[in-house]
Amino acid sequence: MRVAIVAAGQTRFGEHPDLGVKELFASALAEMGPGVDWGGVEVAYIGSLSCGQGMQLGNFAPALLDYAALPPVPAVHVENACASGGFALLQAVQAVASGQVRCALAAGVEKMRDLSGERGRYWLGISGDTEYERLAGLTFAGVFGLMADRLLYEGRIRRSDLAAVAVKNHRHGALNPKAHLRREISLEQVLAAPPVASPLGALDCCPTSDGAAAVIVACEEMAWQLTDRPVWVDGWGAASDTLALHSRGSITGLAAVRRAAAAAYAMAGVGPSGVDVAEVHDCFTVAELIALDELGFCPLAEAGFRLEQGAFALGAGGLVVNPSGGLKAKGHPIGATGVAQAVELFAQLQGESGARQVPGAATALAFNMGGSGASATVHIFRKEGG
Amino acid sequence: MGAHITAPMYRRSLPQRLRLEGGRCGACGVTQFPPRAACPRCRGPLEPVRLSGRGQVVAATFITPAGAPPEFAGQARQTGGYWVAIVALAEGPCITAQLTQAAAPGAPVMAVVRRLYEEDGVVRYGFKFAPQGVGDP
Repeated sequence: MRVAIVAAGQTRFGEHPDLGVKELFASALAEMGPGVDWGGVEVAYIGSLSCGQGMQLGNFAPALLDYAALPPVPAVHVENACASGGFALLQAVQAVASGQVRCALAAGVEKMRDLSGERGRYWLGISGDTEYERLAGLTFAGVFGLMADRLLYEGRIRRSDLAAVAVKNHRHGALNPKAHLRREISLEQVLAAPPVASPLGALDCCPTSDGAAAVIVACEEMAWQLTDRPVWVDGWGAASDTLALHSRGSITGLAAVRRAAAAAYAMAGVGPSGVDVAEVHDCFTVAELIALDELGFCPLAEAGFRLEQGAFALGAGGLVVNPSGGLKAKGHPIGATGVAQAVELFAQLQGESGARQVPGAATALAFNMGGSGASATVHIFRKEGG
Repeated sequence: MGAHITAPMYRRSLPQRLRLEGGRCGACGVTQFPPRAACPRCRGPLEPVRLSGRGQVVAATFITPAGAPPEFAGQARQTGGYWVAIVALAEGPCITAQLTQAAAPGAPVMAVVRRLYEEDGVVRYGFKFAPQGVGDP
């Protein structure tokens, strides 16, 4: 059964001192615009790493439905670290594809800016291997720093290749009114930024952001009742890997991404060369470089040189990666990120992305990752008639 | 497991942190560190085995105060930062731990027991890695 996204919305990502987790969720729903048939929604999946203060809240999803005055349908909190949103979308898509429901809500929300930097760093570390990586004094910047260090040691990337990812994504983010960091940065600024976890500096890292995103997923029959321009979800895949980077055969690859992508490509009947636009999980610059390779877009050895030549950027022609600005510039409200990728690609495939529009975009891919790749989802979307 | 390593959680890991006790698969002979429920290769049962502590740096990162989790922030501020590495142990498995001093990929290192940090009023000791020849027993 074909599945479609029929509506999508997200809040601006960034500082929202006046909005809590419930208000952010309701704001994302409001961004879908009027005319949404809430009575048709039969189930809700809501991604969030935690909620509000970095502490678990039981009955999280029903609480959000309650506040937003949605129908009291079954509602589930989905948690897979930074891939919580991608897995919430996956659950909604699979629920509709199975025929169990005709229409589902997939959403993601995170409230991060209420926390002090110290509390935030404490909380974010829970998505990794807390017994060894964390007790060695690592946060995720350190884990991705280890990947980058090994790639540099093996001569497979240059330091400037990492910086080029940040420069491109900030250029895109500057065009996105929903982005957290709406400013361009130079290669020199990235290289001169304060060090965090060598070789990564502050401008290699995504910010912590408040935000929420939501999409409505419907079966084919219902999709045509709700919109003239459904965006089809034609392929999906997901995978897990070891929690700790040190447990993997290679610390410079992301096997879960590769396996999730292979499943999604096979299901959609398309390969990497058929993708026009992609939202790629770039929590740290090195993650996008590795993902370009694992998603089949570009061998790692060529990625830096192609970025240097302007590839994967708006206006360059060919595949555009992270037109939203990515996590790097758009921001990374953990649980919202995977759903927000779908929100961006929904607009791209409807031709509604304004200054960020990828001309002629017909096929799109979203890749969302949890931790250092312990969980991953890939979705492939197609424009109607595309 | 948990975000917060309670004193009982820490106590349960003492065979690993102080004696580098791993698990060797009785069926296929592959060694795991830390031990897990079964051999990931053949699902065979693991038997305790003490590792040599010798290994080689695979990758290393210098963590500044900006990149340190709060329980290590004091150490990072006092020292300006610290090195963390993935080390390939001589018996095969890789593990993440701090380095006592800078070491590049390929450098031979040796596990030494050091103070890691303090939480809940309990000082937590465990292994770090030092260059081989420095602090060897």
